[in-house]
Amino acid sequence: MSLFAHILIPLGFIILALLIKKASIKRRLAILFAAINFLWSLTLIPIVQFNDIIVVQTGGWEAPYGISLVADKFSVIMLVIAAFIFFISTVYGAQEVDKERRKSGHFFFSFGVLAGVNGSFIAGDIFNLYVWFEVMLMSSFILVSLGGERPQMEGSIKYLILNLISALFFVSGVGLLYGNLGTLNMAHISQIIANNKEIIPLLNPALILMFVSFAIKGALVPFFFWLPASYHTPPPTVSAMFAGLLTKVGIYSLIRFYTLYLYHDDLFWNKIILWLGTASMIVGAMAASSQIFFRKILSFHIISQIGYIVIALAFFTKASLAAAIFFLVHNMLSKTNAFLVGGIIRRQTGTLNIKALGDIYRQNPIWAILFFISAFSLAGLPPLSGFAAKYLVIKAGVEADMILISMIALFTGILTLFSMVKIWMEVFWKKVPEDIAVPLPVKKRKEHWMLTASIAMAVMIIIMGVNAQSLLNFCNSAAHTLLNPDIYINAVLNQ
Amino acid sequence: MELIIAIFIGLLFACGVYLILRRSIVKVILGIFVLSNATNLIIFLAGGIKSEAVAFIPDDAESLNPELINDPMAQVLILKAIVIGLGIAAYILALKYRYFEVTGTHDLDQLKNTDQK
Repeated sequence: MSLFAHILIPLGFIILALLIKKASIKRRLAILFAAINFLWSLTLIPIVQFNDIIVVQTGGWEAPYGISLVADKFSVIMLVIAAFIFFISTVYGAQEVDKERRKSGHFFFSFGVLAGVNGSFIAGDIFNLYVWFEVMLMSSFILVSLGGERPQMEGSIKYLILNLISALFFVSGVGLLYGNLGTLNMAHISQIIANNKEIIPLLNPALILMFVSFAIKGALVPFFFWLPASYHTPPPTVSAMFAGLLTKVGIYSLIRFYTLYLYHDDLFWNKIILWLGTASMIVGAMAASSQIFFRKILSFHIISQIGYIVIALAFFTKASLAAAIFFLVHNMLSKTNAFLVGGIIRRQTGTLNIKALGDIYRQNPIWAILFFISAFSLAGLPPLSGFAAKYLVIKAGVEADMILISMIALFTGILTLFSMVKIWMEVFWKKVPEDIAVPLPVKKRKEHWMLTASIAMAVMIIIMGVNAQSLLNFCNSAAHTLLNPDIYINAVLNQ
Repeated sequence: MELIIAIFIGLLFACGVYLILRRSIVKVILGIFVLSNATNLIIFLAGGIKSEAVAFIPDDAESLNPELINDPMAQVLILKAIVIGLGIAAYILALKYRYFEVTGTHDLDQLKNTDQK
């Protein structure tokens, strides 16, 4: 029952928002519902610690005939962090998003994204997963284009076309898999493959279609082009929320698929995933260091960070899976906060071109500190969360005898540091350039909610870095469940 | 029959890919529609097709011949995929209209601006 709430809470808000006309009430209601969703997700933690896996069979149909909703520890971590990020971005967006957009349904569609994200984390059925992807995508299409400014139009067309292609790949993969196996239940598919290993070469065409779809959603090299073309166009709240939630759903599904199906054919899949991850790491960081727009640097940088998670998945030991989950959590928090700080700066100065900005540190030390915390957490400086995350990934790599890849990961850290230092120097440190024709006015507008949201996020990053051990313990037990798919299969099929 | 449908799906995919490589946005959008229909047909074909077989078994049926039963599940999946495709079609056309209002062009080459800033 508790899992249904993660779908019903966002849907409840969507229905209420249709009835309410006043923008100010809608805003309060949105914050309230986001808080309820966060608190509700926290109640799942003690349940999974006690039971390992929560399974709900919808409509009372036994698996594999009905649709199962499944949450293991990995899903619960993702649900909690996604709910936290969504809560923060709602509080932030209540002030940042302009009234016009709030009236035309900003919160309405962002709760649609939340419904899709929550649904994908608990889906136990591949077609169901596809439907949640579509729910998430449809809402995010509208959020990207809401407002209808010219750059937004351009960004949203690219985002739309490439993501639709990924959805088509996914659904044709689902169709082929169903044709081969006659079932859609994720646990049941895994069981059939485990009992009958020679069937895998037959399934690989379908699995490759699905893998490409996840790679497009997760923005791996060479499928990432939609991401840097669109993430910097919508309002900062929207791009912060997308940076925290959307690509991570693709990576979540990839980890789920790898640990349930793809690991059976390690010889074929491991190399693909390992080298795509490595390429993403390098290409993302290099592309980021050549950009001169605040959000564009951060967008390219998402690709590089995804690479770390994917190589940790490809090492495929217990320690590396735990590191992948830890890194995912760290990345969601730090990346969202970096985008949030960018939003405050854009609101006050009217631009995010780092060549035109400058001297923010003297004007507003609080922003500078907030950016410092999130950016240097991304770069991996202790005692912030990024240090623990990178350390765990590289340590797991060395232990799995992947010295070369671990060295590349270390070297990429320097590139990351370089691009973060670049933003820091240009935006916060240097003097405002004098040769710019129009001196940028520093407008004073209210920002207390935005600051509160960003500070809460920064505090989480510090806590996560200082107190890494307790989260890591949870990640370790999540990795244990992932490495033993029998636990998942037996829980879902009730054997 | 399978072979004919398979060739037909291949042709549809070829048309779709050709269309989404065009410069005009309208043609790209049409390409997406063609591709999504081709995908629906893949599910239909993968679910297995038999001539003269039924999807639903009447309540008063006395004996069951598995050769004469079609799997209704694949068709249910297509139904859902068609509905989602319809929603996307409505949105994408609205987006195209708005894009034309803002820029006054159908040309995809005008989309280069966001790549630079």
